[in-house]
Amino acid sequence: MTINWAQVLFNSVVTGSFYLIGAVGITLTYGLSNFPNFAHAELITSGAFIGYMVAEQLGLGIPVALVISFLCTGIVGLLCYRCIFQPLAKKGATIIHLMVASIALGFILRHSIGAVWSWEPLYFTSTWRAFTVGPLRVTWLWLGLIFAALSLATAMHFVLVKTKIGKAIRATSSNPELALASGINIDKVIWVTWFIGAGLAGIAGIFRGADTQIWPMTGWDAILPIFAVAVLGGIGNFYGAIAAAFIIGLAENIGVVGLTILGLSTTYRIGIAFLILIITLIVRPQGLAMLFRRT
Amino acid sequence: MDPLLYVFDVVVYVGIFGMLALSLNLEFGFTGLANFGKVAFFLIGAYTYGLLSQIGIPFYVCLIAGASISAAFGFLISLPALRLRADYLAIVVLTFGEILRLIVKNEDWIAGGDWGISVSRAISLAGASPRVNALVNIGLVYLCLGICFFVLQLLANSPYGRTMRAIREDEIAAEALGKDRAKYKAQVFMLGSAVAGVAGGLYAQYLQCVLPGMFMPMVTFTVWMMVLLGGPANNKGVLLGAVLVEIFDRGANIAKDYLTLPVDPANLQYILFGVLIILVLFYRPQGLLKESPVTTKALELVRNDRSAVKSNGKQ
Repeated sequence: MTINWAQVLFNSVVTGSFYLIGAVGITLTYGLSNFPNFAHAELITSGAFIGYMVAEQLGLGIPVALVISFLCTGIVGLLCYRCIFQPLAKKGATIIHLMVASIALGFILRHSIGAVWSWEPLYFTSTWRAFTVGPLRVTWLWLGLIFAALSLATAMHFVLVKTKIGKAIRATSSNPELALASGINIDKVIWVTWFIGAGLAGIAGIFRGADTQIWPMTGWDAILPIFAVAVLGGIGNFYGAIAAAFIIGLAENIGVVGLTILGLSTTYRIGIAFLILIITLIVRPQGLAMLFRRT
Repeated sequence: MDPLLYVFDVVVYVGIFGMLALSLNLEFGFTGLANFGKVAFFLIGAYTYGLLSQIGIPFYVCLIAGASISAAFGFLISLPALRLRADYLAIVVLTFGEILRLIVKNEDWIAGGDWGISVSRAISLAGASPRVNALVNIGLVYLCLGICFFVLQLLANSPYGRTMRAIREDEIAAEALGKDRAKYKAQVFMLGSAVAGVAGGLYAQYLQCVLPGMFMPMVTFTVWMMVLLGGPANNKGVLLGAVLVEIFDRGANIAKDYLTLPVDPANLQYILFGVLIILVLFYRPQGLLKESPVTTKALELVRNDRSAVKSNGKQ
C-alpha cells in the first residue's frame, strides 16, 4: 500500500482547522470561568442544526447560515452562562457542581434538538465535488474550513493583542482580582467571551455537519478531541490551542493511516486524542502554555 | 407482564444502581473526586462476568474477578490525573468510558460486538418459576448491597473516612498533616471502581446479556443524579436517591404510554432529568439528607463521659 503523504498532511490541516474553531470557545471559557463546559458539544450541534435550518429549510445558502449560526449559538451560549453557570457560581457551587450542571444542560439541549429535528441524520444537499490539485484531493468545503480557521486565528490574534476587550480578556484570564481592581468590568468580559466562544462552536458545527452528518450527537462525537486540544494547548491559552489543534489533527491522521495498516477500525481515531491527553497530563499538565508566555 | 415481577424488577434495579450510587458517593461525596466515567467500571465488571461465566467459572469468582479488574483499571486510569485538579480527572475518565464502549462495540471477538453475548444467571434453580428466580436474584443483589453498605459505612466513620473528608475539604491542609493525598485518592478510586465492577457483574447476570448499548454515558449521569438528589457524603441518602430516581424513571416510562404529548416522550424524559438535576444544584446542593456526622465508638465514649460529668456536677 502506498501512502499519499501530501494528502495525509492536507487532511491533518483540515482536521486541525476544525478542532481549532471548535476549541477556541472551550479553552477561553475554561480559562475564564475555571470549569470545562461539557455542553460545548451541544453548542456545536446547535450550530449545525441552525445552519441546516437556514441553509436548507429556508434556502438562504451557507454564507448566511454561517453568520446566523454564529449569532444564534452565541446567544444560546451566553444565556446558558447568564442563567445557569453564573448564578450557580455565585451560590458557591464547586467546580464539580458546575461540571455536572454543564452535562445536565448538554442533555437538555441535545434532546431538545432531538425533539425538534428528530434523531434521523440530516445532510446538507449542496455537494462539494472533489477535484485534484497535484497529488491532492480537495473540496471547496475543506478549503473554506482552512480559510475560516486562518481568518479566525488572525482575527483573534488582532483582537487579543490590539483591542481593549482582548486585553481585558487576557487580563481577566490570568488574574481576575487584579483585573477587577484595574477597573475592568469582569462580568462583561466573561459574557463577551462566552458569546464569541459559543458562536465559533456554532460555525464549527456547520463545517462538521457539512463534512459528515447532522444529528443530535454531532457535537458529542467531536468533543473529546476538542478537550484534548484545550488541555494540550494549555487551558485558556489561544496560541497554545492553535498549535495543539494542528498537532492533534496531524497525530489523528497519521494514526488513521496506522490503524488502516494494522487492520483496525478507524473509529479508534478518538483513542489517539485520548492518548495525547493522557501523555500531556503525565508529562506536561500545563500544556504548551509556557511556550507562549511572552505573547 | 406479571405485576409482581415488575415490582421485583424495580427492586433489583434499585439494588444494583444503589451499589453504583454508593461507590460514586465514596469517590465524590466523601473524597471529592469527580468520576464522570462510572459506566466504564460498570462495563468492565459486566463484561468480565459475562466472559468468565461462559467458560464455567462459578459466579462468586466472576464477581470478585470483575471487581479486581475494575479496580486495576481504576488505578491505571486515575493515575495520571490524581495529582491534578478535579476537572482533569473528569475529562480523562469520561473519555475512557467512551473509548471502552467503542472497543467492545467494534471488536467482535471480545464479546460479540454490537450484539453482545448472553450470560447465564448466577443462581438458577431447576424448574423454579420466574417469581422464585427473581426473588433469588433480589437476595443475591441485596446481599452484595448490604456488604457494600456495611463496609462503606464503617469506612466513612473510621479515621480513614475522616482523612477522605479532609482531602475533600482542603487537599493541601491534609497533605500538610502528612496524608499522602494521591495515595488516598488512588485507593478510594480503586475501591469505588471495585464496587462498580461487582454491580456490573450483577447487572449482566440479571439481564442475562451484555451489550455495548447498556453502557451509555446516561448511566453515569443517572448515578450522579442519585447521589446529588439523595445527599452526597451520606450513604443512606444516596440509597434514598437511588430509590427516588428509579421510581421517577419508571413512572415516566409508564406515564408515556398513557399521555399523548407533542414531544417524543423519550426525549422529554432526558430533558426532565437534566432540568431536575439543575434544580437540585440550585436549590438543594446538599441533597435531601444532609451529610451524616461521623459516629465512632471513641466519639460516643467522649460524649457519654461529658454527660456523665455534667450530671455529676449537678449532684
